[in-house]
Amino acid sequence: MPRSSKLTSAAPWRELVTTDKDWQAADPGLLRSSLVDLHLIRAFEEKVLELAGQGLVHGPAHSSIGQESGAVGSALTLRASDQINGSHRAHHQFLAKCLHYVSPEGMDPANAVTAPVHELLQKTLAEIMGLAQGYCRGRGGSMHLRWGDAGVLGTNAIVGGGVPMAAGAAWSHRRAGTGDVTITYFGDGAINIGSVLETMNLAAAWKLPLCFFIENNRYAVSTVVDEATAEPRLSARGQAFGIPSWKIDGMDPLAVYLATQEALEIMRSGGGPTIIEADVYRFFHQNGPLPGSAFGYRTKDEENEWRARDPLDRVGSEMIKRKLIDEAGIKSLREQAQAAMEAAADELLDKSGAKPAVRADLWPTPDFRDAHIRGDLSELDGVRYVEQEQFQGKLEEHKFVDSVADVMHRRMSKDERIVVMGEDVHRLKGGTNGATRGLSQDFPDRCLGTPISENAFVGLGGGIAMDGRYRPVVEFMYPDFMWVAADQVFNQIAKARHMFGGDSAMPLVLRTKVAMGTGYGSQHSMDPAGIFATSPGWRIVAASTPYDYVGLMNSALQCEDPVLVIEHTDLYNAKFPAPVDDLDYYIPLGKAKVVRPGKDVTVLTYLSLVQTSVEAVERLSVDAEVIDLRSLDRAGLDWETIGASIRKTNNVLVVEQGSVGTAYGVLLGDEVQRRFFDYLDQPVQRVTGGEASPSISKVLERAACAGPEEIEDGLRLVMAQQGRPLA
Amino acid sequence: MAIKIELPSVAAGMEEATLVRWVKVEGDQVSKGETLAEMETDKAVMELETEADGVLGRILVPGGSEGVTVGTMIGVLLEPGEDESALAAFQAPSAPSEPAAPASPEPETAPEPQAAPAQNPVSAESQGQASAPEREGRVFASPLARRLANEYGLDLSGIQGSGPHGRIVRLDVERAREAAPVQAAAPAAASIQASSVPEGARVERIPNSGMRKTIARRLTESKQQVPHFYLTMEVDVEEMLALRGRLNAKSSGADRKYRLSVNDIVVYAAARALRRVPDVNASWSEEAILRYLDVDVCVAVATEGGLVTPVIHEADRKGLAEISGEIRDLAHRARAGKLAPAEYQGGGFTISNLGMYGIREFSAIINPPQAAILAVGAVEKRPVVRNDQLAVGNVMIMTLSSDHRVVDGAVGARFLAELRALLEDPLELLV
Repeated sequence: MPRSSKLTSAAPWRELVTTDKDWQAADPGLLRSSLVDLHLIRAFEEKVLELAGQGLVHGPAHSSIGQESGAVGSALTLRASDQINGSHRAHHQFLAKCLHYVSPEGMDPANAVTAPVHELLQKTLAEIMGLAQGYCRGRGGSMHLRWGDAGVLGTNAIVGGGVPMAAGAAWSHRRAGTGDVTITYFGDGAINIGSVLETMNLAAAWKLPLCFFIENNRYAVSTVVDEATAEPRLSARGQAFGIPSWKIDGMDPLAVYLATQEALEIMRSGGGPTIIEADVYRFFHQNGPLPGSAFGYRTKDEENEWRARDPLDRVGSEMIKRKLIDEAGIKSLREQAQAAMEAAADELLDKSGAKPAVRADLWPTPDFRDAHIRGDLSELDGVRYVEQEQFQGKLEEHKFVDSVADVMHRRMSKDERIVVMGEDVHRLKGGTNGATRGLSQDFPDRCLGTPISENAFVGLGGGIAMDGRYRPVVEFMYPDFMWVAADQVFNQIAKARHMFGGDSAMPLVLRTKVAMGTGYGSQHSMDPAGIFATSPGWRIVAASTPYDYVGLMNSALQCEDPVLVIEHTDLYNAKFPAPVDDLDYYIPLGKAKVVRPGKDVTVLTYLSLVQTSVEAVERLSVDAEVIDLRSLDRAGLDWETIGASIRKTNNVLVVEQGSVGTAYGVLLGDEVQRRFFDYLDQPVQRVTGGEASPSISKVLERAACAGPEEIEDGLRLVMAQQGRPLA
Repeated sequence: MAIKIELPSVAAGMEEATLVRWVKVEGDQVSKGETLAEMETDKAVMELETEADGVLGRILVPGGSEGVTVGTMIGVLLEPGEDESALAAFQAPSAPSEPAAPASPEPETAPEPQAAPAQNPVSAESQGQASAPEREGRVFASPLARRLANEYGLDLSGIQGSGPHGRIVRLDVERAREAAPVQAAAPAAASIQASSVPEGARVERIPNSGMRKTIARRLTESKQQVPHFYLTMEVDVEEMLALRGRLNAKSSGADRKYRLSVNDIVVYAAARALRRVPDVNASWSEEAILRYLDVDVCVAVATEGGLVTPVIHEADRKGLAEISGEIRDLAHRARAGKLAPAEYQGGGFTISNLGMYGIREFSAIINPPQAAILAVGAVEKRPVVRNDQLAVGNVMIMTLSSDHRVVDGAVGARFLAELRALLEDPLELLV
């Protein structure tokens, strides 16, 4: 019989309950501010539901009525430079943090609605109604509230989606050594999702000052927490990751306040992340003005029990006990709050008709639709652009991958903000391919090996980028991992600037390598360009030479938008003339390069197939104009260069290596035929790989990818179809 | 049911013709294959044959009409047993350039098996690309080809597509433009018109035939666009004449098989010289010099309508008598306007001989898209030096006009030297 001994978790886990003594000892100012916050938020949410009932809120209205105290109790512990983010149900979190920001000296129940408070309420309501004067210019609405100055990073409609980004902000606080913290709020419905669990692990491993604040309101829409997990005490998750955790009654704002203070002590002193699970209750359904019982997933009795514990009543009665306020004072506060919301709504509505309507002049104009998808690149004004033909520095033959490492080393030595992260980037003499060679030796605190959790670490990178103090360079060992990290890559990083109204930048560089030809098979062999190009927000560059790589990487690192930098394993160990004494020049984003002039057909290609195409063209003696696109995103396509070529040749062959399904040429072909229809002598022809993702078997892999023979076939086709078949 | 008689397209790119005359008159019984009428294109007069037995019911376009567009209904054929009531629906078109009005009383879907295949798309310069009566489906052309055709004023329906599924691509339009540069020649035509006679001068007006217009257009274009240069050489034809005399003496009497002219021998020798200097037997194109693999030699023939250049195909493989007979036949039929299009289209080199008019020497305009033309003068007795002795010799002067884009001076000279060697020592022709 084996001997067993009891193991205990390394992390403390406790339940905190307030006593009468705590209430008596509580700072009167804290209680006054709590009461005012609770009443203002309650009145705000009631007005939102009322407007939603009148059809004046487009989209969902997820009210926090009943569960305001979790946000209020925690926000009152924070300083202005601390940050929060939240999920789809976040009006109360947004307002609690912002009320505290505009009233740093505390709130007075007798004079609750000051001018800054009124402006906050009106501007928040405007955002929820989708109006131009909102915090995100009406783009964000109810679920995407951001006010950077007040420390609200932006709330999120993807369950758990904002959590990795919050970790990025926390990373920046830690790196800056300010002692500031980030609270990421989410509900019981988010506790089982990868973004949250991966981030708990990463934040704990890296000791980030991040509080995972779980508002356990027991219902994920209608699914009960007991149904969704075998451990419904959600703060138990901390045990798995070594995170100190608290379980509290979230209807008690003082308990929230005290637990958050304990958590802050740990976080501000470098002790890493914390978890607070606050048991709360939303009085209404997921969305709208009906109670949950109306939908049959809970009872009226249960709702009445929780209503009896309304945090507004709790704080009011405790304050009356301490004679800090009387019934009339509470009634006055309630009336002030309701009147403030009446006034805020009136400013946004036209009540001249039979039914109230949104004031027509307050909508954003439709031409605002695509503004701020990306920045204007003014951050690159005045940089030194030098093409290889004009380069004055020294060029020496060396491996492509050495230039990848060299330019990053050069930039990190010049720019302390740059931080590199990814799987194994800090070991193996520069990661799996040598692309980060030398970085961890010379910049050990800025070259970070990550756990294998792409969604968390790229999201964390997004959070760092949005924070703005540091510039993350994230590596995906293989591009196919973008599917693993798809939420952070496409829903968060790509959309953040636009979705939050256009004021926030996202200067993140994502490096990855196309590995077709290495035998890594179906799940490691994609070319990500086609998929990334469908995602507004991303810029994409792909260099075919080390010289261009250096210049493009310098531009990518200077750029205020997310930039995907695609490399290729076929190029890594090939030798090229590469810069050695000047790594500080730039290649423009959005500038293609004619690498071989010609007049019979325009070959549009990128990355490793540039050289392969030139060689095929020479072998067949086709007078093709080969263009290295270099920038691949929709905004980066150099139509001037491409157009001049097509007007000359009248025939187009798009050459890429990867599978046809995710192919980049779809976008390119579509744009070309619509822009240059009258100049085309045949359909836009394309060379791509097969339909299937490349297999591990060497023969099948070769068959699945486009190579020299397929390019030759493409050239023959494009010549034959203009009536000039090759011999 | 009555059958429409439409003006057919008999040559590539043919858009219109002159309806010279009707051979039959209304009411004539005709059988399939019989000649109904004659039409003249820019090159030749052709016969219009009936496609079925019947009676020529009505003539809609009278003989002598110029500029009749291909596809125009010019008459109606009654099928056996039909009477004139079947003609009620058919009326003369209001203007020859317009397509026949489809004012047919029968449903448009009614099958017209005889008429349908002959229905060619109407030239529709005035209508842009959309040709209403076109029934064989749309013309497939690349976007670029459409745009260029529009710019050049070419009708896509007359162009053969070489792309996938017969798609007309740029190259096809460019070739069509070279072959029939109607628009390109317009400025030249305008300037010719501008050089009108002085006011008050007494003139007789001779309307230009299609052939006359084509000659004017093509030669103007050639002289303006092709960089000509000229090489002249004297040939001592003493031995060649002696050979000719001996050969002709063998073929005398009633069953004479041949009678060789000097020109026949020049053509025969030139064909062999072209085989030896193939660079002269070529055409210019923007992409490449097109060197002809066959030696097809055109011979200029003066006719009443103007200059015609029938082709001796593969002349380097034909015997002297064969060439002689062919030239004679072609010239005869050319003067009668009876050449088929294939007989005057193509060729890689042209020979023009005005020796019979006593012209000593002249230079000719290149016949595009060829790159050279040989102008042959009269054989004259002149002092020659033989073995350092002055003697009376028979001399002929030849001038080669060459397109310098294709033929450089030395190449042209080499060709002439080769030709002279063959003519001065005809034994050379045997090897």
